[in-house]
Amino acid sequence: MITVQHTRNTLKSKGKLNMRADLFRGALVHLAARNPDTDAEAVARWERDSEFHRLAHNDPAYPILAKTAKQWLEEESPNGFRFAIRTLADDRLIGTIGLWVSSWTNGEAWAGISIGERDYWGNGYGTDAMKIILRYGFTELNLYRVSLDALASNARAVRAYEKAGFVVEGYTRGAAKYDGQHGDEIYMGILREEWAKTTA
Amino acid sequence: MNNDLFTGQLVRLAAINPEADAAWFARWDRDTEYIRLLDGAPFRLITVKKVKEEIEKEIEENAANACLFVVRTLADDRLIGFVELEGIRWPQGDTFVGIGLGDRDDWGKGYGTDAMKIVLRYAFTELNLQRVSLDVFGYNERALRSYQKAGFVIEGRQRQLLLRNGQRFDCIYMGVLRNEWLAMNNFQ
Repeated sequence: MITVQHTRNTLKSKGKLNMRADLFRGALVHLAARNPDTDAEAVARWERDSEFHRLAHNDPAYPILAKTAKQWLEEESPNGFRFAIRTLADDRLIGTIGLWVSSWTNGEAWAGISIGERDYWGNGYGTDAMKIILRYGFTELNLYRVSLDALASNARAVRAYEKAGFVVEGYTRGAAKYDGQHGDEIYMGILREEWAKTTA
Repeated sequence: MNNDLFTGQLVRLAAINPEADAAWFARWDRDTEYIRLLDGAPFRLITVKKVKEEIEKEIEENAANACLFVVRTLADDRLIGFVELEGIRWPQGDTFVGIGLGDRDDWGKGYGTDAMKIVLRYAFTELNLQRVSLDVFGYNERALRSYQKAGFVIEGRQRQLLLRNGQRFDCIYMGVLRNEWLAMNNFQ
């Protein structure tokens, strides 16, 4: 059996490629293909959780059918690199993650992540998935920067993004309104050379 | 000196108009010498309508990784050919380029070299690519010289790939790297 090595966050390979490195594997989770047939039910169940919806999207919460979720999962675009997040322990589907390349010429992509299974909130699973997709973005897509935005009040997410290496770049004040309260959107980013300094 | 990205010394690159331009492409495609210089696939004839549909399909299907232009003369804005960056591999920063000038009267006058120079400038300064690749048939010496003038060097060949009229010819691979192009054009 081949021993899979974990790649380190290095942009230099000293003339050799580590062909045994598994780009899609982290410490707690791995990224897998999105399977419309098997994953739609879980995605629809997460969307019916209005707290999940508010953390993941900025449009109004709205329940969807598994059929609609299946259509979401079937969507493909040449500039979208989307994956299912599954646990290493038992291969359980816990969320989704993706990079959307907004500009190839500038080497920029936007990251989006959501962990639908509440049991896996606050335990490092999202941070781990984000680290995997950053490695994918910088070493496979050869990007220069990755951007994201979030609700500024979503402290758990902001902490996770900081752990993965993102820094706060700005706010759009009052861009989100929930329960009568105006809140800020937070913008974060990470540059290629900053990522290379983070440890695997 | 005009600093428009799409304008060269003799020609300019313009948007393709499937409606208006298909008839020209269909006419050029009836010239077997043109086709044999352009493409290795067997020669076939198609209607103007079908050409138009194929151009539209090409634009739609390859929107994310191709840039198709027509070549027009600066002197009289005449449509004389096309140039296309296709199969752009964004993570690697590589693209393939193809070019064709349809009318024999326009061959050997520097139009193709000029169009290629424009599209290289576009590839390196607008798309920020790392290299541009092409292949050329061994019997197309005029094109080979033109590509060398634009900055391409020979990188390899598929020996005796082509069989034309009983004779075998190589397919030659050429490329130009970003740093080479920047140095040639006095960029930092």
